[in-house]
Amino acid sequence: MAAGSRVAVAAYKGGSGLLLTLLYLFLYAPIVYVIYTSFNKDLIWPFPPDFTLDAYFQLAESSTYHEALWNSVLLGLGSAILCTVVATMGSMSILKYRSRWRGLIAVIYLCPLFVADLLVGISSLLFNRQVLGLPGNMGSAMIANAVHGTSFAFLIMIAQMARYDWRLDDAAMVFGAKPLRCFWEVTLPIIWPAMLGAFIISFILAFNNLEISFYNLGAIPTLPTIAWGSLRFGLGAELFALAALVNGVVLVTFTIMYLLMRYRIVSFGHRD
Amino acid sequence: MARRRLGPEGRFLLMALPGAIFVVVFLLLPILSIIVFSFWRTESYTLIPDWNLDNYATLFGTTTYMTFLLRSFTTAVVVSLASLVYAWPVAYFIAKHGDRYRLLLVLALAAPFFTGIILRVTGIQGVMGPVGVINLGLMNYGLQPIDFIMYTQTAVGIGVTYLFIPFMVTAVYLSLLNFDFELLEVAKINGAKPWRAFIEITWPLNWMGTVIGLVLVFIPSMAESITPRFLGGPNAASFGQVLGLQFGETGTWALGSAMGVLLFAVSSLVILLMWRTVNLQRSGFTGGGH
Repeated sequence: MAAGSRVAVAAYKGGSGLLLTLLYLFLYAPIVYVIYTSFNKDLIWPFPPDFTLDAYFQLAESSTYHEALWNSVLLGLGSAILCTVVATMGSMSILKYRSRWRGLIAVIYLCPLFVADLLVGISSLLFNRQVLGLPGNMGSAMIANAVHGTSFAFLIMIAQMARYDWRLDDAAMVFGAKPLRCFWEVTLPIIWPAMLGAFIISFILAFNNLEISFYNLGAIPTLPTIAWGSLRFGLGAELFALAALVNGVVLVTFTIMYLLMRYRIVSFGHRD
Repeated sequence: MARRRLGPEGRFLLMALPGAIFVVVFLLLPILSIIVFSFWRTESYTLIPDWNLDNYATLFGTTTYMTFLLRSFTTAVVVSLASLVYAWPVAYFIAKHGDRYRLLLVLALAAPFFTGIILRVTGIQGVMGPVGVINLGLMNYGLQPIDFIMYTQTAVGIGVTYLFIPFMVTAVYLSLLNFDFELLEVAKINGAKPWRAFIEITWPLNWMGTVIGLVLVFIPSMAESITPRFLGGPNAASFGQVLGLQFGETGTWALGSAMGVLLFAVSSLVILLMWRTVNLQRSGFTGGGH
């Protein structure tokens, strides 16, 4: 019986390990394929490999993509700044004070997670247009994306700061520091990695978002909306190059974040 | 002192309210406004406050719209369940046996999500689309292409699962991270078989995390409009895809609003029904971050 259960345990471990490996394969095969193909002459059947950088030259020469890249960066930055400020204040208030409204406030900060991008997109389009009288523009796209990113930023901040010792703040206050100065000199130096993590994640989310941005930007192009437009005409070379670049940058960012956390240089909201 | 000092409750509200108001104004008010607009009508790209139920009559009275809704709902249910069945053993494996590689393993699962839907659809189309590498490969060797992933509902299901399964794994993983595996040892000492310990301890104590995962997968899957267009072909149009059309070519915003409201109502109902199955006491919930 002992042998039987040992076999069962081995089978269970092997089986789950296999499932995990297959999941990585499922998630990464398309990414690897896109990166591989982007360096090839023949995009439809890139075997055997015939390496070229044509796709990247095409992408670099397209002025539409230049403009779109700049807009995406701007959108990402604006949205990420909003998210980080809002999420920092929200998470600090919830962890620092014992209010009877804590639960309600947490629910409000998290409810964007439970509304689909498409709905955020169309409802803020109509709200801005009809109620506020605003046409599609960069500002409303930043705000709509920030609403969605706030939940992610909030979760990251909460996870990090759950361990923060608020007595430090009390100590600073006892010695006469004003709340803002206390935040600047005591809290910020400790929680900035979590804020940076929240900033990076909300930047990436807004940078790559299609459905919220598409409905709120009017005619302003961003990388995802341009990509969406050209995907309708089939997989073009520049689309492979773009996908390869964005995937590459995101994966490198995650790798750097992982290494910094792994060697405990910076924690980005992660706790062991 | 010149200024009256705020009590803790006052300071809490001073810090929490700006963000809460931000979310309420830019998330809840827009949703309320589409509820209002869904009872108006559109005429040459303008919303006219002429209260009526026509949009809903059109939605519920037209078989195609109901077909789209049912199709999106079914896809979302199947995708959520498939993600659940697949994500559980994977998340369990990482949480229990990942040791010091846990963070790496789970970050690697979450990372692809952040490259954005459109580029991910580009990738998956390149691999399993009708002229993707799998089917072209098969045909190059004189074999039959796999029919069921060429412009079918199955292809859409696989594509949507590809997009949102990271949510499920992460939710279950985070739940298991806070789960005390010692409880299983206790069950074992008391003579419980592993499957019984799982059903009576592990599963109920992690049900809340599982529900959150299910809902986080269900909602975007139900609204998904990109994948069906590129992997599904003409007979797989989703509700979200048709909803998007109302705001593009046709400019029928009132009908689009009604479709948005219907989508929101179905999603909210699912959240509500799922949440009712969560027993906070049994799920080991202790009431906040402490």
